Amino acid sequence: MIEVHQLSKRYGTVQAVRDVSFQVGTGQVIGLLGPNGAGKTTIMKILTGYHYPTSGSALIDGLSVEEYPEEVKKRIGYLPENAPSYGDLSPLEYLSFVAEARAIPKDKRASRIKQVMDQCSLQEVKNKSIETLSKGYRQRLGLAQAILHDPAILILDEPTTGLDPNQILEIRALIRELGKSKTVILSTHILQEVEAVCSQVIIIHQGRIAAQGTSAEIGRTLKGQDSWHLELRGNLSEALPERFVFNNVSFIVQNQKRLENGNLFIKISHIDEPAMANVSPHAIGETLFDWVVAQGYKLTHMEHQKVSLEDIFVQLTKEG
Amino acid sequence: MKGLSSQSIALAKKELYSALNSPATYGVWAFFLLFNSITFFYLQKFFSLDSATLRPYFSVIPLVYTLLIPAITMKSWAEERKTGTAELLLTMPFSEWDLVLGKFLSSLMILVIALVLTLGVPFSLFPLGDFDGGVIISEYVGALLLGMAAVALGQLFSSLAKNQISAFLGGVVVLLAVMLLNQLTSLMDLPKILADILNYLSLAFHFESFARGILDSRDILFFILVTLLFLFINTRVLLFRKWS
Repeated sequence: MIEVHQLSKRYGTVQAVRDVSFQVGTGQVIGLLGPNGAGKTTIMKILTGYHYPTSGSALIDGLSVEEYPEEVKKRIGYLPENAPSYGDLSPLEYLSFVAEARAIPKDKRASRIKQVMDQCSLQEVKNKSIETLSKGYRQRLGLAQAILHDPAILILDEPTTGLDPNQILEIRALIRELGKSKTVILSTHILQEVEAVCSQVIIIHQGRIAAQGTSAEIGRTLKGQDSWHLELRGNLSEALPERFVFNNVSFIVQNQKRLENGNLFIKISHIDEPAMANVSPHAIGETLFDWVVAQGYKLTHMEHQKVSLEDIFVQLTKEG
Repeated sequence: MKGLSSQSIALAKKELYSALNSPATYGVWAFFLLFNSITFFYLQKFFSLDSATLRPYFSVIPLVYTLLIPAITMKSWAEERKTGTAELLLTMPFSEWDLVLGKFLSSLMILVIALVLTLGVPFSLFPLGDFDGGVIISEYVGALLLGMAAVALGQLFSSLAKNQISAFLGGVVVLLAVMLLNQLTSLMDLPKILADILNYLSLAFHFESFARGILDSRDILFFILVTLLFLFINTRVLLFRKWS
């Protein structure tokens, strides 16, 4: 269980994290999503005890990361950004060191190392020098050291960076599997990764939480941004108004342009109002269809554009 | 301060293993042996002295340590920070003392091996004269204690530096200063109290009694306390970085 309360971190004059609060329970995989410099890595560094917060608190299983750093660190497996490791060692030597440092009982070390090497497909390079390994192998080695002591909490900073598509799928499957019995927080720039692996998303922007929940929940809170793409034919000599109301639904025309075939393309969305809370996108689409018919236009194409995590991300993390 | 934990030993073993696999370590040992031997046999002309003593051999130890110790300790923290592995170490269940002691032990072992390698000199010279074994033991104890304090200081500089080069240069400058502080008192006509203070702060000054064959408990205590002080400051540097 991870509990973060009003966490803030300042590096000199830079406020990296501002008043961030969230909770993550066992069996959840949380994705921290945000542009570069948003504060994702700083939050992870605080949770792992690498940095202490300027204010607020971070608790791991009820223990403060500042007051009980060693107890907290025993419960956490951490893959830092870029998966640093000791280049002069081999994966086997490196994992042996980590096993000893993590106080894994001597009689269980060899079997545990073998197990994580199998899980992370490292067997074939186990005796090679780490500095000669590809980025993908080093990334998997970083993941292997993070899970070696079978921690209850996994914190993974961009875990699939540098992996090829097959390896990405393997590692995502491994994270999903680990997430069934552990608390996992991962940061990523890859939106598909969040949708593929995470049960919850926290979008971080300029050190603050910009949105939080499942991607569907975040989508629902922003459903006014669902849009329809229409292609119209008929008497369209004048431009359409930017806003109009039809059957008590307010619409806003976001974009309109004349196509080569003479048709008019419009991107249109409804304005989210309290009265619209229980109106389905399907009903809004029907209203829009009725409006087209009422105007005497001919509809040649109509497409409902659901708001995607990508749209939400772009919308929430736009500067300003 | 906590005692030596299994985590410290694990880290010390890993560090020592890496050092023994690095050609630089063998270069450092070769430099130490060559510098001491050339100074002793050629510059100080040991065979012309007609005296069964290794004092000239140990008299250059403070000076050679100013280069040797930073070369051993420069990687200690600076390299970890540069490659990002400091983040791994500091997020493993090590206390700051575990980390500092682990690093210190491995660097000290490199120094101990360097000193052991010099044993060939006394053993090859014993048949040539009536050497005082007690004095030589005292000289080695002094060299070890002086080295301990210097390693702790060099390691502290490595934790403050951003890269190995600045750790090395910073270590050389500061070690030169603390080793040779007592030289000021002989070069300049300083008030007695100031001269006493400078002498007391000089590591080389406390080494002189060992070089004369005297195991002075005050000097032993001085080196132990100075070592602990530098190691303690090193733990505070690690802790401070978590807040900064």
